[in-house]
Amino acid sequence: MSSHLVTITRSLVFVCLALLLCAALMQGLGFNALLMLTSVAEGAFLRPGAIENSLRWGLPLFLSAAGVSIAFRAGFFNIGAQGQFYLGAIFAATAAHWLQGGAPLLVIPAILCAGFLGGALWALWPGLMKLGSGTDEVITTLMGNFIAGLLLVWVTSGPLKDPAGSGQQASSPVLAAPYRISDSSGVSATTLGIALGVGILLWLLVNRTAFGVLSGLAGRNGTMVRWQGASSWRIGLTSFLLSGGLAGLAGAVEFAGPTGRIASGFLPGHGFTATLVALVANFSILGTAVTALFFGGLAAAALYLPIMAGLPAAAIEVINASIALFITARSRLVDRLAGRKETSS
Amino acid sequence: MPPDSPAAAVAALDCRDVTVRYGAVTALSGITAAFAPGLIHAVVGQNGAGKTTFARVAAGLVQPAEGEVSILGTPIRTGHVSESRAAGVELVHQSFALPPSFTVSEAMEFGATGRGGLFTARRLRRRWQAHLAELDVTAGPTQRIRDLPVETQQAVEIARALITDARVLILDEPTAVLTPAGIETLFDRVRRLKASGVTVLLILHKIREVLAIADTLTVLRAGQLVDGPRPAATVDEAELTRLIVGQSDPAAGRSGAGPAGQPVSPPVSPSVSPSGPGASPMVPAAGSHPPALGIYALRTRADSEGPALEDVDLEVAPGEILGIAGVEGNGQKSLVRAIAGLAEVESGRIMLGGRDIGPRSLGERRAAGLRIIPFERNTEGLSLRSSLWENWSAGALLQRPLLSPVRPDHLRRDCAAALREWQVRYHSPAQPAGSLSGGNAQKVILAREIDEAARLIIAAQPTRGLDIGATAFVWRALRAARDRGAAVLVISSDLDELFDISDRVVVMLSGRVSGRFAPPYSLTRVGAAMTGAEGAFA
Repeated sequence: MSSHLVTITRSLVFVCLALLLCAALMQGLGFNALLMLTSVAEGAFLRPGAIENSLRWGLPLFLSAAGVSIAFRAGFFNIGAQGQFYLGAIFAATAAHWLQGGAPLLVIPAILCAGFLGGALWALWPGLMKLGSGTDEVITTLMGNFIAGLLLVWVTSGPLKDPAGSGQQASSPVLAAPYRISDSSGVSATTLGIALGVGILLWLLVNRTAFGVLSGLAGRNGTMVRWQGASSWRIGLTSFLLSGGLAGLAGAVEFAGPTGRIASGFLPGHGFTATLVALVANFSILGTAVTALFFGGLAAAALYLPIMAGLPAAAIEVINASIALFITARSRLVDRLAGRKETSS
Repeated sequence: MPPDSPAAAVAALDCRDVTVRYGAVTALSGITAAFAPGLIHAVVGQNGAGKTTFARVAAGLVQPAEGEVSILGTPIRTGHVSESRAAGVELVHQSFALPPSFTVSEAMEFGATGRGGLFTARRLRRRWQAHLAELDVTAGPTQRIRDLPVETQQAVEIARALITDARVLILDEPTAVLTPAGIETLFDRVRRLKASGVTVLLILHKIREVLAIADTLTVLRAGQLVDGPRPAATVDEAELTRLIVGQSDPAAGRSGAGPAGQPVSPPVSPSVSPSGPGASPMVPAAGSHPPALGIYALRTRADSEGPALEDVDLEVAPGEILGIAGVEGNGQKSLVRAIAGLAEVESGRIMLGGRDIGPRSLGERRAAGLRIIPFERNTEGLSLRSSLWENWSAGALLQRPLLSPVRPDHLRRDCAAALREWQVRYHSPAQPAGSLSGGNAQKVILAREIDEAARLIIAAQPTRGLDIGATAFVWRALRAARDRGAAVLVISSDLDELFDISDRVVVMLSGRVSGRFAPPYSLTRVGAAMTGAEGAFA
């Protein structure tokens, strides 16, 4: 447990380094770096209502990032969270469309389940290809993102098109209020409960089940686990389906929660930020929760940057990218140090 | 210079008070030794004695906490590879370091200079062909490293190390991966290097090899210099064994009972082979019991891991140890993979305890009592970056449903108990398996694979790279399992070991069984079956 804390603390040091780098960069470009950092802090956590706003972005991020962690732990580089998130949203919207008029107590769980199912299906085919014939899942899941993005365009401008839409952005009709799990603030007892419940279940899965131990082993040395009699299908497919399903659930939560509809190209960076969150948290569930909140805060702060520091909102993308840079550099560094230790006798 | 006056000239490698610490562990303490030039020096000791660390200090890879190192009379700054290199020290690692995808000439070029730059394949080939020929390396310059047999890979490593006019060549456990014939070739090569004036340091732990090649001996034990360098001619096998192991047999741990309650016998050198103590071979009685393992007319397809098996017939009875002899690469791996269900079987049957396990997965085979100590300890046997308790519990957890609850604290506790029983030296069950020495890592695998429910234990090269103490421990454990009624299939390239432990020996050659032997074994006849000198079916 304490070693987990050490890893996460180390990650956060790298995150701070990345922030400092961005600050230096912005200062060099003629902006006020101090103002930028304070406005990020204010927008994320300090302003009244900022925490709520950070949760709005952090909750779906947590769900997707937890999914990414499950796959990465087992050694599968599922970087298709974005596509799985879209498919989850599409399935959820479709379920909502079909079940219109039903009792909310039944329809809402159906929407969430449909979302999970959609995401899981979008991870199923890369999983089958990987386990069946060794096709690189990085390629398939990445391509899956683009296909899912185009599918979303088609669905929102075709079958689920909002008849009252202005035509500016293709989108589905807004979900009727009784079926919404939160208002546009994204924070409600339901959304918090979903995140908390999923978090607890996943923590138990990773830390207290045979799957947790075995998938961790398989991720570090699949050969060894195979010689112990594991079928790569059992652990592998479970990981893929769960990973995609969680991103899909995030899509459903986003659809039935803050956004209230699906629109072509909505939340475009969600999957990649989720992957980043999982990397920063080093695939621990608890760490993912904390980190997702932090990145949710950055997303929330993006809206304040133009107002407070005169920076474009896209500056947050620069911050995210530098964090990604530092985190990947960190894993290389740690690997090399670990590798050096192993050879000494 | 005569070998019995090693300090007469300026030493090739002179270490004074070298101490190395890894965190709280002292790997070397106050080593002072001078190695005379132009000789073959053996540095011997058990696993974890500090041999590799010593080699790495000399090569500048490890910065000692204290101490000085001089090469050919010139003091060098310790902990700088470039300094050691410039002074003429080259180290060939235990695990090979050449990039598998490189051609031989590429490996030579970039291993030598470490620089990039423009080059043409032809120029590289021309540059290195002569060097390789001079050292009698059979590999063509355009062959890729990964396609070479192990012996040749090692020869290329050595050739790479000798590019820069090395005066002191250190080989770390060079024989661990070699067949007996390969070892002979290596030793010839080393003797020729000596003749050309190179000082060679061999890190070794097999006594017979040490006495066959070394001019001087240096013994390390638990990071301390026990003896040497002293002329090899003044030491015999028994004394060397005593020097390496020490009086109290540290590898066997506390005096008293072994893992299966067997008394800890004084460690025997694996090269000394008296008839197995109390070995009572149970020759399979036809009809009464089904054999624990029965393989009938087994054929497999050849793949990247080994040749095809052709009509292999084998039976191992409960309470019997069957030894598989043979030069490496003659189907032993295919056999183990077929029994594990990881190779494609074309025809024939594999029976476990009288039941055909052909359609069964490895998980189901394990549930039926199959246990495997695989060839590759660090990839197939353990996940080095995972904790000890995870490695230890993997097999048992796989027999449960995926979502079954586990208590990590209980697993850690049980793992600690098992590792203590198996005399593994470790700090905490949460430490990564990669932090253990080879012998201790192997004991972790034994602790996992040899349990009460084991009916058939496949032990593939179970003592490879292990020191005397750990080797004796492995054999004791396998004998104990045999005496409990388990069937044991041992694959080893060390014939002395195999003759010592096996109730019967089967020889494999090109995917076939080329000989079957019962004690007393004749080295010549088994050797003939291994090399195909005669169609010896006994």
